[in-house]
Amino acid sequence: MSENTNSVSRRSLLKGAAVGGLGLVAGSTIATSSADAATRLKGSTVRWTTRGGGATGDKIAKAVNDAFAKKTGAKVVAQQVNSDDFQNNFAQIMQGSPDDAFGWMAGYRSNHFGEMGLLADLTREINRLKPTLPTSAIKGATSPVSKKPYILPTTYYPWALHYRKSMVKEIGMNPEKIDTWDDFIKLMTLTQKKGLVGYSLGAKGGWEAMGTFDILNARINGYKYHIDLLNGRAKWTDAKTKETFKYFAQLIPFMNENVLDISWDGMRDLLLQKKTGAMMMGSWFANDFKAKSQADYDDLWVVPFPEINPKWGIDSIDAPLDGISVAANGKNVAGGKALAQFWASPEGITEAIKAGDTNIYVSKSFDTSSYDSFNKQKLAVLGSAKNIMFFLDRDARGDFAGPVVGPAIQSFIKKPSDINKILESVQAQWDALPKN
Amino acid sequence: MSTEMATNKRYRDKQKRKDAFISIFIGFFAFVWIFPILWTVWTSLRPYNEIISYGIFSRPRSLNFDNYVNAVKEMEIAGYLLNSAIVTIPSVILTLFFGSLIAFVVTRYKFKFNLTILLLFTAGNMLPIVLTYIPVFWMFIWVGELFGNRNMFYNNYAGLILVHVAFQVGFAAFVLSSYMKTIPKEISESATIDGANVFRHYWNVILPLLRPALAALSVLMTTWIYNEFFWALVLMSDDSKRPITSALRRLQGQYVTDFNLLAAGAIIAALPTVILFFVLRKQFIAGLTLGSTKG
Repeated sequence: MSENTNSVSRRSLLKGAAVGGLGLVAGSTIATSSADAATRLKGSTVRWTTRGGGATGDKIAKAVNDAFAKKTGAKVVAQQVNSDDFQNNFAQIMQGSPDDAFGWMAGYRSNHFGEMGLLADLTREINRLKPTLPTSAIKGATSPVSKKPYILPTTYYPWALHYRKSMVKEIGMNPEKIDTWDDFIKLMTLTQKKGLVGYSLGAKGGWEAMGTFDILNARINGYKYHIDLLNGRAKWTDAKTKETFKYFAQLIPFMNENVLDISWDGMRDLLLQKKTGAMMMGSWFANDFKAKSQADYDDLWVVPFPEINPKWGIDSIDAPLDGISVAANGKNVAGGKALAQFWASPEGITEAIKAGDTNIYVSKSFDTSSYDSFNKQKLAVLGSAKNIMFFLDRDARGDFAGPVVGPAIQSFIKKPSDINKILESVQAQWDALPKN
Repeated sequence: MSTEMATNKRYRDKQKRKDAFISIFIGFFAFVWIFPILWTVWTSLRPYNEIISYGIFSRPRSLNFDNYVNAVKEMEIAGYLLNSAIVTIPSVILTLFFGSLIAFVVTRYKFKFNLTILLLFTAGNMLPIVLTYIPVFWMFIWVGELFGNRNMFYNNYAGLILVHVAFQVGFAAFVLSSYMKTIPKEISESATIDGANVFRHYWNVILPLLRPALAALSVLMTTWIYNEFFWALVLMSDDSKRPITSALRRLQGQYVTDFNLLAAGAIIAALPTVILFFVLRKQFIAGLTLGSTKG
């Protein structure tokens, strides 16, 4: 009952926001909501799960949770779990006795469970955060089916082309200017001439090579076609899809021979050991370069995947969006929502960064002035795109991406000439999936 | 005389060659078997940074115990070992108790479904646990909700112990009944004539005779339950209640896994069972051959 009246007053406040200056009222809405939360949550216990992250993960969680506890008077009990285990048993954990709030992933992985009724609807929370969140992030966190958000977006990272500046200079090219498909082919050709790998790729787990497929398809056929394809509104057997694989096949002669034997860490090692020209990957591995030496880290560079079709330019990027979700079956759903909102709010972000979080936040309040040049470039790469994709295994349904597309890409790399047969099989398997 | 010596010598040479061949054969398989463990130890002594910079097969630039120090720090070993003990000790005791009860009844008393019961328990052992996981999960939730507490079994030590007992008791019953068949029937007959009731017969007559078998089996069971990982992972949602095997998972990051650190952690986690093995080696080997003389 009291919650209802709260939401009404908040809504009128938001309306007021449209009239009076945005920033001013934004501050006041967040302030009122937390004041409400404080009276409601005092003395209650909220449970929090950190997904991986080791000692740093615990430290960040403690900083943010402590600040929340101090502000609201609620007690936060936190734990850290292994990320893979949590993900693989997610349905059971959510149906059992889950913690109230936890770090989770946007896209199919939150929408699907949200529609199953396992994740709480966070419409009110996301509305309160609206002044600080870009529309693309809100769109990304909202399920296209139920039009409800089941996650509050916090961080993301780019999948883009990585290489070493020194190696590009050595072959006589400008590392700041790898813009077109021709530049890219030239880079790979010249690197290969030196007896090295032109383009390193791993596909051991099936997912690593999806990044290359995603970006090729988006560059050649555009964002809309790509998303349509992954959701069954376009056909895998379409000439457009085949065109993408034609470009993919052009890359194969430049690749390392053991593509199917290595995963992303094998790719990273090739670049770390200066054995490869370029690779398409998520930027999360940069800390390993730093761990080796500052010089290696300074040498690492990232650029958007080059333009192929001028119609699309470089308007799309794979940038998996992470955030905070709330379990619908938790013991303290209201507390979980308040905690999730705090994590995604400017206050929570400030605490996380103070505690050593190096992620890139989507929030507009996020201060990047202290960033080093690699991280600034990461931001620039993210900023270059208009459309954010979440990576194939988050954009497509889970029983399709991993079990069908992954093995299909593996077979394609093994025998590119079989592509028509492979795509027919992918389409047939899509058609055979139960539709709900 | 001389021909006899020559034949002897030839025979001895032949034996020697045979011995040499067998030694090489055994040596080869011993090496194949021990190689992964040696490799783990080797990996655990090298820093992660060296592996990513120079590759797995590179020559070592430095060898030290840093990984062990870090693993101990990050794994919070004491708490997880305590969890392992909380789960393992009652599970082993209950398994042996129930297993011996079943074995006692099916070997000492004759009734129609003797063999069927034993088969039922043994066959249950053959079910892959991944198949039973979802039904067990829902059973725990529903039974818990029946009593108004979802966490009566799920995410509770009691549930984990129960699952271990259920899955191990079949094997225990099988082994113990084989062993019990070697105990002469006359002992049971005289006990019955002396007026011992069923429970006294079990507790005061049979159980003391089972001691060597129980000792052997308890060592085996302890190792198995201690090393078990799957049930703890899926039935415990709180990481703080999971056993030592899952502490290893703490060493794995979302993206980056430091395999050198993980190797050190694996060796630390394996240490208690290795020590147990060396202390109770005799019982361990006895356990593996238990009942093998009588089917």
